[in-house]
Amino acid sequence: MLKTKQEDLIRYKDGNLYCELADIWIDPNKPVKKALITHAHFDHFTFGCEEYISTKETAILLKERVGDNIKIKTFEYGEEFKINGINISFHPSGHILGSCQIRFIFAEEKWLISGDFKLQKDETCKQYEIVKTDYLISECTFGLPIFKWDETNKIANDISKWISNSPEKTSLLFCYSLGKAQRLLNEIRQTNFKGNIYSHDSIYKMNNCYKELGIDIKDTLKIENKKKIDELKGSLILLPPSLSKGSYLKNFKNIQTAFASGWMSIRALRKRSGYDKGFAISDHADWDGILEVIKKSEAKNVFFHHGDSEALSKYLVEKESINVLLFGK
Amino acid sequence: MSLKKFSELFGDLDSINSTNNKIEVLKRYFLLNEPIDNSWAIYLLTGKSKKRFISGRYLKNLFSQIYEYPQWLIDTCYLKVGDSAEVITLLLKNKTKSRNKKLSNISLNELLSKTIPKLSILDEEEKNLQIKNIWETLPEDYHLIFNKILTGTFRVGVSIGLITKSISKLINIDEEIISHRLMGNFEPSIDSYEFLINKNINLQELNSKPFPFLLANNIEDKIFKNSINNFQFEWKYDGIRMQLIKRLGNVSLWTRGQELVNESFPELVEKISHIKDDFVLDGELLVWNFKEQIAFDFSLLQKRINRKSPTRSIQIKYPIIFIAYDILEINGRDIREIKLENRRIELEKYFSKWQNKTENNISDIFKICDLIFPKDWPDALTYKENSRENNTEGLIIKKKTSIYSSGRKKGIWWKYKVDPMQLDAVLIYAKGGSGRRAGLYTDYSFALWKDQELIKFASAYSGLTNIEIKELDKWIRKNTIEKFGPVRLLKPEMVFEISFEKIQVSKRHKSGIAVRFPRITKWRKDKRINDADCLENAYKLMKKKS
Repeated sequence: MLKTKQEDLIRYKDGNLYCELADIWIDPNKPVKKALITHAHFDHFTFGCEEYISTKETAILLKERVGDNIKIKTFEYGEEFKINGINISFHPSGHILGSCQIRFIFAEEKWLISGDFKLQKDETCKQYEIVKTDYLISECTFGLPIFKWDETNKIANDISKWISNSPEKTSLLFCYSLGKAQRLLNEIRQTNFKGNIYSHDSIYKMNNCYKELGIDIKDTLKIENKKKIDELKGSLILLPPSLSKGSYLKNFKNIQTAFASGWMSIRALRKRSGYDKGFAISDHADWDGILEVIKKSEAKNVFFHHGDSEALSKYLVEKESINVLLFGK
Repeated sequence: MSLKKFSELFGDLDSINSTNNKIEVLKRYFLLNEPIDNSWAIYLLTGKSKKRFISGRYLKNLFSQIYEYPQWLIDTCYLKVGDSAEVITLLLKNKTKSRNKKLSNISLNELLSKTIPKLSILDEEEKNLQIKNIWETLPEDYHLIFNKILTGTFRVGVSIGLITKSISKLINIDEEIISHRLMGNFEPSIDSYEFLINKNINLQELNSKPFPFLLANNIEDKIFKNSINNFQFEWKYDGIRMQLIKRLGNVSLWTRGQELVNESFPELVEKISHIKDDFVLDGELLVWNFKEQIAFDFSLLQKRINRKSPTRSIQIKYPIIFIAYDILEINGRDIREIKLENRRIELEKYFSKWQNKTENNISDIFKICDLIFPKDWPDALTYKENSRENNTEGLIIKKKTSIYSSGRKKGIWWKYKVDPMQLDAVLIYAKGGSGRRAGLYTDYSFALWKDQELIKFASAYSGLTNIEIKELDKWIRKNTIEKFGPVRLLKPEMVFEISFEKIQVSKRHKSGIAVRFPRITKWRKDKRINDADCLENAYKLMKKKS
């Protein structure tokens, strides 16, 4: 049965995850005193907090993205630290470089915030670590069984084929600048595609960060100005999705476009997106992935945030007899 | 040639936006594959296959049974995906563990001419088992095509025009000829493909086929600058556009949707067969009010369209007429290349001959369209504005010098339609869309006031921009009062201008009225729900019409 528990260690407050006992917020979308940051994507971070706490990698990525002007304390994966008597630790979540799950232990009860996570192979970040818990707060971005990811190398080969099948064109692949772009670069390097790869500045910066953090990313060319148009034939250009609409595309001639995102597994969304092609590759877990994490965490109680969790909740209650709770919002 | 090639073609066409590239891909496919597979490909891609072997619901139930998935979960997925065949394809992923993909090399021909038709003769249990078996032995990449063929939902954004162009380029023959060859029935076979790509043009072979229809464009302001004498004016009837063909003594009635409908209108076929000449006429079929000499409403025609072999009493209750606009062929001579004004002379000449010579009186079922002669453009506007009085939708304006080419050819024929009727109505229900609009609330129901109550009067799906759809979708999710399955009851707050073409009494609806072609023409953010129209205003529109 779905029920609401009131005295939760971690609860929803003003649309954010909050631990009252430690007076600490997790990925808050407004300025607070103390914020735990699971990873460096902008929808998990906001300016103006007095203090941030994150993994070492996340701190470096954040500073690259927003500048050195933030006060940020870092901890290693697995290292325990205490706030107001609560033991807190970070564990790899496999989403992007530096991403973590956050575990809280208090009064012999374990709470785990999954953060954004995936189980699929990704050599550009640490593999998801199974962490046992009593309470699990999980993301649910792709919480329907229609989402089942193909092996990463299959997608990479599809991308390679897509480029080589149109040698006279410039292939623009849109993807998130941080995480997805680097994962794609790493995978595409292992395919037959040996042409030039260019990165938009926002991606180029993140590539350098990854390299500094010891991740072996393929070198890409910076896409700087328009004069090279003719040299771009047959090459791959990585661009952030924000540039897909508007005048930026006029910088290129004879292009084909694609978007790399889990949503692209659905034909209607693919058609509506306006890209020529979609590659269904995601840094979030698919349906089976979410189920696996829930089962292996041995959590007795599960909460969801991020995404539409109605179907997944009902399924867990009906088919797996797992207790799904709703946040008192 | 295996299904693999067709599956790749499907994937390519689905991810190419440029028309020229689509044509190239099609050409390459036709070149590299067997005639029989090409024939099936054309059959599928042009939507000539109308057959549905099982329903989407059946497919979903079957999957639910076999793989023990709760029905509600599949339905939830459907809301996101919008196509049963695709939902099941996505759900089937990694489900079929069998390593033995013995159908890997099955050809399109074998699948369509043997495997799938065989399903229809099995009893339910055997059929289910066989579908499961196919799922397990067919490589995953082909599941979508298989499921789509099963459920008869094969659409890929490839028009007949595109196929026509590809074949025309492939063999270097005029598009018009290919288009003509593709008209009407198309039974997939080696012969039908060979016929299509035959470099020798033999009109005899086209005997049973209608000509490609010439269509009118929306009115353009520039035509008002021309002298009115350059144009022929006709009423725009709201019936079924048709070609009436009599060749070698055989009569065939072809709709613009390329369906042969002889069986629905036997009295017309019978009368026409007594005429001595052979011909092809372009015209409109209507249910006719002979007393007042105007068309009855389209709803009466609907009573005839889908009824094969209508009884004598149905024929009397809903009397039909064929109104000829144009003559395209006479006694084997194709006259589409002569000017419209001269074709009109031929049409009048032959019609009066037939009226005088034919033993049975034909004018109780067949006439030629009356022409209208406005003295100037303002006069034409007056005719148009009054067109509802004789139950027409406005005027058709044709250049007197136009030849009968095909398609929506620019600059020769125009439709000058009467402005739609409009009411401001309140959005009260929303339902998830399907196909391309899956996952968004895009099917809306609108209501009008009756005393203090909002009464549903129309549903509409079209008219909003993609940006408006997204905005409204967001609003709908936040302002739902209650959910009934896929339908949401909404807080009455949003007002829309709804346009429609016709309004009539209907006992089936609580509002007591039914409207034709309702669509959204404006999101009236400036109006509050109390500003919306009341049902009384709808009744007034109805009275004004009659």
